[in-house]
Amino acid sequence: MENFQMEEAVVKEYDSKLMRRLLTFTKPYLSSFGLVIIIMFVLTIADLYIPKLVKDVIDNNINGYTRDYSILKSYSPESWKIGDLYIKEGNIKNAVKASIVYSDNAYYLVEGRVNHKEPYKFVGDKLLQGKNIFKSYKIKPSEIKEVRRSDAKGVLNKTMLMLFLSILVFLLGYIQVYLISKTGQKIIFDIRQKLFRHVEDLSLSFFDSNPVGRLVTRITNDVETLNEMYTSVLLNLIKDAFLIIFILVAMFLLNVKLALITLFVIPVITAAIIIFKRYDREAYRDVRVKLARINAFLSENISGMKIVQIFAKEEKKYKEFANINREYFDASYHQLQIIAIFRPFIDLVYSLALAALLWFGGIRVINNNLTFGILFAFVSYLQKFFQPINDISEKYDILQSSMASSERIFMLLDKDERIKNPDNPVSIETLKGEIEFKNVWFAYKENDWVLKDVSFKINPGEKVAFVGATGAGKTSIISLISRFYDIQKGEILIDGINIKNMNKEDLRKNVATVLQDVFLFTGDIKGNIRLNNDEISDETIISAARYVNADKFIEKLPDKYDSYVNERGTTFSQGERQLIAFARAIAFNPPILVLDEATANIDTETESLIQDALEKITENRTTIIVAHRLSTIKKADKIIVLHKGKIRETGTHEELLKREGLYYNLYQLQYKDLA
Amino acid sequence: MNKFKSLIRYTSKYKFRYLIGITFLLLIDLIQLIPPKLIGYLTDLLSKGNATKAHLIKYISLIVLISFSMAIGRYIWRIYIFGSARLVEFDMRNKLFQHLQKLSQNFYNQHKTGDLMALATNDLNAVRMTLGQGIIMITDAIVLTITTLSIMLSINVKLTLISLIPLPFVALVATKFGKIIHNKFLKVQESFSKLTDIVQENFSGIRIIKSFVQEEKEYIKFTKENQHNYETNMELVKIWGMFFPLVEFIASLSFVFLTGVGGTYVIYGYISLGDFIAFNMYIGTLVWPMMAFGWVINIIQRGLASLERIENILHQKPDVFDNDVKDLKYLNGDISIKNLTFKYPDTESPALENINLTVKEGQTLGIIGKTGSGKSTLVNLLLRLYNVNDNTIFIGGIDINRIPLKILRESIGFVPQDSFLFSTTITENINLPLEQLDMAEIIESTKAADIYDNILNFKDGFDTIVGERGVTLSGGQKQRISIARTLIKNPKILIFDDCLSAVDAKTEVNILSNLKNIMKEKTSIIISHRISAVKDADLIVVLDDGKIVEMGLHSQLIEMNGIYKSIFDKQQIEEKIQSEEV
Repeated sequence: MENFQMEEAVVKEYDSKLMRRLLTFTKPYLSSFGLVIIIMFVLTIADLYIPKLVKDVIDNNINGYTRDYSILKSYSPESWKIGDLYIKEGNIKNAVKASIVYSDNAYYLVEGRVNHKEPYKFVGDKLLQGKNIFKSYKIKPSEIKEVRRSDAKGVLNKTMLMLFLSILVFLLGYIQVYLISKTGQKIIFDIRQKLFRHVEDLSLSFFDSNPVGRLVTRITNDVETLNEMYTSVLLNLIKDAFLIIFILVAMFLLNVKLALITLFVIPVITAAIIIFKRYDREAYRDVRVKLARINAFLSENISGMKIVQIFAKEEKKYKEFANINREYFDASYHQLQIIAIFRPFIDLVYSLALAALLWFGGIRVINNNLTFGILFAFVSYLQKFFQPINDISEKYDILQSSMASSERIFMLLDKDERIKNPDNPVSIETLKGEIEFKNVWFAYKENDWVLKDVSFKINPGEKVAFVGATGAGKTSIISLISRFYDIQKGEILIDGINIKNMNKEDLRKNVATVLQDVFLFTGDIKGNIRLNNDEISDETIISAARYVNADKFIEKLPDKYDSYVNERGTTFSQGERQLIAFARAIAFNPPILVLDEATANIDTETESLIQDALEKITENRTTIIVAHRLSTIKKADKIIVLHKGKIRETGTHEELLKREGLYYNLYQLQYKDLA
Repeated sequence: MNKFKSLIRYTSKYKFRYLIGITFLLLIDLIQLIPPKLIGYLTDLLSKGNATKAHLIKYISLIVLISFSMAIGRYIWRIYIFGSARLVEFDMRNKLFQHLQKLSQNFYNQHKTGDLMALATNDLNAVRMTLGQGIIMITDAIVLTITTLSIMLSINVKLTLISLIPLPFVALVATKFGKIIHNKFLKVQESFSKLTDIVQENFSGIRIIKSFVQEEKEYIKFTKENQHNYETNMELVKIWGMFFPLVEFIASLSFVFLTGVGGTYVIYGYISLGDFIAFNMYIGTLVWPMMAFGWVINIIQRGLASLERIENILHQKPDVFDNDVKDLKYLNGDISIKNLTFKYPDTESPALENINLTVKEGQTLGIIGKTGSGKSTLVNLLLRLYNVNDNTIFIGGIDINRIPLKILRESIGFVPQDSFLFSTTITENINLPLEQLDMAEIIESTKAADIYDNILNFKDGFDTIVGERGVTLSGGQKQRISIARTLIKNPKILIFDDCLSAVDAKTEVNILSNLKNIMKEKTSIIISHRISAVKDADLIVVLDDGKIVEMGLHSQLIEMNGIYKSIFDKQQIEEKIQSEEV
């Protein structure tokens, strides 16, 4: 759902502060970026050199016959025999000047100097050009092959060079894409690592107030959006800029005037694309918003289908849906129209630009101010020009969405809600387990006191049960012992040391927690008992499981301790999950155990296993139990009765029953039947 | 082939639009071939020095003219073909939703909301792609290939064959790579969702992780998954990154062949320079259709797979539907259940066993029982969310299976346990049962449901939007709005399914006494876990494990000293504890 809403949020504009912060992530990869830029440089040159090669083939080789020739009467070295004559390249003294012309798929030897740039025509074997009349001989294909052997060789050489360049472009092109993507992937890998570590470190109160789904989206989808920013925006922008500059340079090198003419076309194209993009962007946004609405409607109506059916309002909801669907259709049709107008329009602009180029270039070719090959190269360059401009405007969209994502990511990174370790922590190894609350006041939300002036002391190895109605503050006490929250007033001492003076990790290593709803991780049974702690051997796991009676059901599983545990362990009963959690606590073997007993009914067989296990694991261990079972309470050394955040009664089961106070009532309500 | 047929069936409504679109597409494909030819002529003239300004004007104005008609034609086919595809999409989405509305609870228990949503969005997109992009690509590819090829052949057969050798490989690469890329892409999605899962799990279990000081270890685990995600992405990049350079390379091989062989041909006089230039452009034209051949195969494959998924749902028959029903306009509120035993599909033991009870119009029935005792099942059956055997449930004296669903459900006002509200205004939510909006009625119903003052306290009053996008309501507020929504319907039968669990016992009693007047003329069923809510009912039923274990008036049940009495006692103590001051 959240994703759909985000689509509707106004997309953030470019923000240089965010950008600077985003760029800091590129630091470790500057050398890769450098390499990519060098490759781009070479690639662009190679890419642009190919049209130049074709131009050379046309101007220097294909049109190579427009050179001057001389007719010799007899054979001489480096001359070719044409019919009865011999011709040689160049102007040779005392020889008859000659030219070669090409007309209707045939070559002719012409006596005299033909101007190749001017029109001519054949009348019989005479060639007429202006006032000149030249005598001509048709050249046989076998003869022309000889004459033009060097041109053909030139073509071949240039073709080989083209082939080489193509291979180079292919290889470099691939390497470039690969490097860019790799760098981008590495950067988002880094960001994910950083973000995950950061969030994991935040305190439970942060997790209480932030839905898990949203946090997950930050680490997954939002970071994914940045990927595009790093891969396709950052480097491609450089590439596109390169391309534009190179094309411009190449054009100016070839012909300044024609380049200037082409430059006039560029603003038109750019303007067309920018205008189109603006409309398209708006239309596209509208489409996304409408699609998000369809999604939201569907999600809601599929999960609420029962209500609709119960109220027999299918017709009404269908009408609503059809409307939303129609709106989506209209929006997408609108976008289609924009694309249908602009795409052909941009093609048209390109064609017009081409026409203009042909016109101005053509006139220059006619006037002999330009070779045809250069004109041809310009046509190719014009084609290549469109791509980077189109690209740049496309990148702008990505830039925008990555701005929005990065803002959300940085906001999360700037969160600093955490339980801080003291600067000079008291070094502790294994605690004895003496727990004391001294006038503890605690609230999750300001002034909404959950615990009010709570004081008690538990001696090492003692077993204490907390009882009370829902909301009395039992669970909070459990959380406070592990310092998941900091108290507002008072002191919590363990072995006489204020827990704020210990490293929270050292503290928690001394406390095993078994929660009411045991959380199991995806993986196997072993993994759920040792929780990534490699120091706990398989033997320890098995003996721990046996100790807490968990082996009975584990041994029955097909893969025993390697059996798969699915998400949250839903294939196990609550009782079984509790036993696994007991095994976990035993395997870690800390001096303090806090336990929130399960409320749900557990079948009698498992129940007795749990009770037996409970007795064993609490042995010689300071134990705090939020109790829901009479048997548990009865075995406790001390019962502390909480009511609305205050301690009301303390004593053993018998003592408290005799008092006929709050405990007595609670007993009547909650425990009597469970005995 | 069958799938193709059903694809065509959906488009037949728009066949004329398609016809126009495809005609223009063909036309443009043909016209498109002229400019290279013109440029070829111009080249010949220019290179021979035979060109004059007049030639330039003639050819260039022709090019401009053709460009304009192409722009217009392209606009038309885009609008007609893509537009039709969108129309088909629109129709299919409506149809799909309408069908989903008919399917019963069983279906929804078996299908995830996300999957059904994907059908209406992602899968429909894939179908639309086939019907738009797919059709265009295939037409384009065929026409362009045939025409371009024949023109090239008419210029020079040998040169055509030589320079075109590499191009079929473009199609081959596009097909093969398309498939590989798609697979790798699925892998990427998979690893991405794995990464999502691990983050999700980690944050959900953060308490345990912190308790056992596993942050560092979990970080390593996350790193592994993050690394895996990186690697799968790189696997995709390796192939995907090669695709375009490779296609470009193959296409450039064609140009290399052309330059080498064609250049020599011009030199030897077999073809003119103009032919050479035109060839150059035609090869450029051919690269796209070759790629299109490759892509289109993938697009169509995906579209057909999606269509199959959609049709699978469309072919699902609803479980609950009108069959041999009586022509009724009206039901009275008598309810009687005779020997009703019901078992959910795919379960072993019955959820209800041998239920017999009768409630007359105007009476109130109270139902008490533990979670899972069958209370909700019983009312689900009264609404016919599941099918029951004939002659087990009678409403207004008529077998429920003979009552038209619409009449049945319009006669019953049901307030469910989970008060599902739509994310729209409070007014809209309450007005769900009605077609016309009458504010007076809405206000009246909210007063009866004891939520009127609450609503007025919101900044936007009745226009307050509820749910994630608006004000988050408390459980009790939601439940009372849900009650108002039912009351405005003014049905013959009212059913409250433990719908006031989120308000305290006192408020519940208040609301119920407010409703006394309304309930007088109706049949009411109150399901609650609180005795206080049902104690005044004309008949109270205690359900346990799907069976009626106790039945009677409050006083009778108290005397019976059974389950009912023990619940009553407990609740007395509970009240006592709650009222204790600190």
